[in-house]
Amino acid sequence: MKFTRLTLLALTAASVAFLTGCATQNNAKYVDSQGPNTIVSLNSINIQDWNTAADKLVSSLLASGVLERAPELPSVMAISRIRNNTQQQVDTDSLTKKIRIALNQTGKVVTTTTMGPDGRVEDAMAADAGAMGAFMAGQKQVTKLPYYTLSGKLLEDRVSVGSTKQVTYTFQLSLTTVKDGLALWEGEELITKQGQRSSVGW
Amino acid sequence: MKTLLPILAFAALGLTGCATSVNTVQRANPQATPSYVADQRVVTDTTLARKLSTVSVNEAKVSGNLLKIQVTLENRSTKPQAFTYKFDWIADDGMELSGPTGGWKQIQLEGREVRAISAIATNPRAVDFRLKVRENN
Repeated sequence: MKFTRLTLLALTAASVAFLTGCATQNNAKYVDSQGPNTIVSLNSINIQDWNTAADKLVSSLLASGVLERAPELPSVMAISRIRNNTQQQVDTDSLTKKIRIALNQTGKVVTTTTMGPDGRVEDAMAADAGAMGAFMAGQKQVTKLPYYTLSGKLLEDRVSVGSTKQVTYTFQLSLTTVKDGLALWEGEELITKQGQRSSVGW
Repeated sequence: MKTLLPILAFAALGLTGCATSVNTVQRANPQATPSYVADQRVVTDTTLARKLSTVSVNEAKVSGNLLKIQVTLENRSTKPQAFTYKFDWIADDGMELSGPTGGWKQIQLEGREVRAISAIATNPRAVDFRLKVRENN
């Protein structure tokens, strides 16, 4: 009888702990954006996917040693078009900004913000101010031309067998030297996720 | 007893069938001359240490002045295992350096597979590193 009462008490305590544990899980909480407890979904490119793709592509670019061959360091890079051929509406800056920051940290590359594809500049104010400053000084504006351009493409491949779904996101990048139009470095990173539904944690 | 034997044999077959380890072939006398790093290991998860072992750590300089670290890992189990890892970079003044791509990454190793993971410090001030490895949930 004593044993039964003890068992009952332990079971009740376990149930309470379980129930309160479940209750706290439903509440919003902060998680590390670069940590292993972020949500993994099959329907979109998650932050850890951008992070992994950018890291692998930057490592590939740095390991290739091509940046060292530029006549002037840091060399100027312009961001060209990154085509999004996935079903998702994504901002490709999620990839390129990470790459830009990493390359900037190396001290080998700086990115121009006053030049962009189809004349769309990232920092119109800087472009206008530069032109205005040169005009006021009675000089012709000298824009630093990029030595490199970075272009790329995002692809998506979806397959399923029964209730198991698989999605592969492909991140392709090319670094082209402006003077001859040759792709000096090309990188590709594939991220594949498989499952039946989204989950928290890796 | 007669009926129990086939059941046991089937169960054993099923268990060993799940374990698919990797066979490898490589040069008997490797030509590569890696620059090995004397490493210090801190184990807080003994279960993980039993499953995953660090074979070697070597370093190189890439793109002129950037530190590259390669750590060779071995899955000691015969089953496929997934792990997450993260490299931290430390400057010559002991300060930890942050970067936009320095988060946790995932690696999946087949049974008894040996594979290298590597990372390049994007900051030329990096002189030291710390690799963290954890088992997937």
